[in-house]
Amino acid sequence: MRDLRAVGTKFYHVLYPKEKKALLKEWDLWGPLILCTFIAMMVQGTQEVDKQDGGPEFAQVFVIVWLGAAVVTMNTKLLGGTISFFQSVCVLGYCLLPSCLSLILCRLILIAHQNRILFLLRFIVTCIGFAWATFAAMVFLGDSQPSSRKSLAVYPIFLFYFIISWLIISHSNV
Amino acid sequence: MAHARPEIVRMQFMEIILFEARSLTSQTKSSIMYGEDLDQVPLLDNEEPLDFGEEDLPKGRLKHPVVTTFHLLFRTAALVVYEFCGIFSSSFIGPFIFIVVLLSLDFWTVKNITGRLMVGLRWWNYIDDEGQSHWVFEAKKGGLQGRVTKMEVRIFWVALVAFPVLWSIILLIAVVFSRFQWAIIVVIALTLTGSNLYGYVRCKLGKSDSISQSFKNMAAGLVQRQMVSNVTSMFTRAPPTATPSSTV
Repeated sequence: MRDLRAVGTKFYHVLYPKEKKALLKEWDLWGPLILCTFIAMMVQGTQEVDKQDGGPEFAQVFVIVWLGAAVVTMNTKLLGGTISFFQSVCVLGYCLLPSCLSLILCRLILIAHQNRILFLLRFIVTCIGFAWATFAAMVFLGDSQPSSRKSLAVYPIFLFYFIISWLIISHSNV
Repeated sequence: MAHARPEIVRMQFMEIILFEARSLTSQTKSSIMYGEDLDQVPLLDNEEPLDFGEEDLPKGRLKHPVVTTFHLLFRTAALVVYEFCGIFSSSFIGPFIFIVVLLSLDFWTVKNITGRLMVGLRWWNYIDDEGQSHWVFEAKKGGLQGRVTKMEVRIFWVALVAFPVLWSIILLIAVVFSRFQWAIIVVIALTLTGSNLYGYVRCKLGKSDSISQSFKNMAAGLVQRQMVSNVTSMFTRAPPTATPSSTV
């Protein structure tokens, strides 16, 4: 269907951020919803029999992603950015994809018995995902910032993906 | 010979008038466009006579039964699952995902399909080449004949308005009883159903400057109608006849 194909195209453009039009012109929020749900499901806490399973971390991810994207967008707009609210939230949400991929890899690494080297590997994978996500977000959002304020606008995006990556690296129970 | 029923395959939409409005938070100009044909169509239009071409449809029959079912199905299912999932399992994540999926399906269905087919309204956003965002609210021009039934219109609006109200009550309950995890679901539900409601109300209200302005106009219209009916009833009431005094 048209919408599914649009989502798929945007995923592709996040991975190879060369062309900006696809994400910016036709924004949609389905991709961020899918990614957010996926990340939230994967970083659940431990399951205990008589408590509600993995509740806190699951809801936390949703709140962090959506509130975080909204706050970063407000910051961008207050700094004089020329992008609309939904476009910015769309970009930030779609750029979660590299972090999501690093989460999948970490999950695979966690299958093996853990030691220091594997932790280092997970750390590196998460860092790559984080850097890629921040870079992709800057490629898409960069033009809409006034040039004197670029670093002021980068910092919240950096912080946003940093926190998401922190959630990913600190998830270590199988 | 049957009525000359214009079987228009594609819906005819009016020319859109560009209405530039300054965006509230930044210097970007975002524009809001309205379908031109709406001259203050009242929100509750239960006074129109049966339209040409509809006479052969028995009253109360639905023109798009499948669409109507789907319009109601996902919203009701989401609400029902939310209320009753506690009986069947104590988990939070499963029902959360299920409800969010249902709400997303409902949002997509109502926005893209049922609004268009049941009441002839649609709304969307697009970004033009300069990067300006434009919100478009359209209503089908006068072609309500033979395309829209009163019953469907009523069902559409009732469902559209009732569910955000219900979800806000549930939000109050969730906050009062400190079920904050579940409150997240309710907030999501409220956002999705509320945004559909907002979009369609904007479509319906047409060229008004703002929603509060159009509510004022609507209230003024209702007051006017009430006054007119009072005055006419005053004139049409029979003059009080003098009762004969008791006989001596």
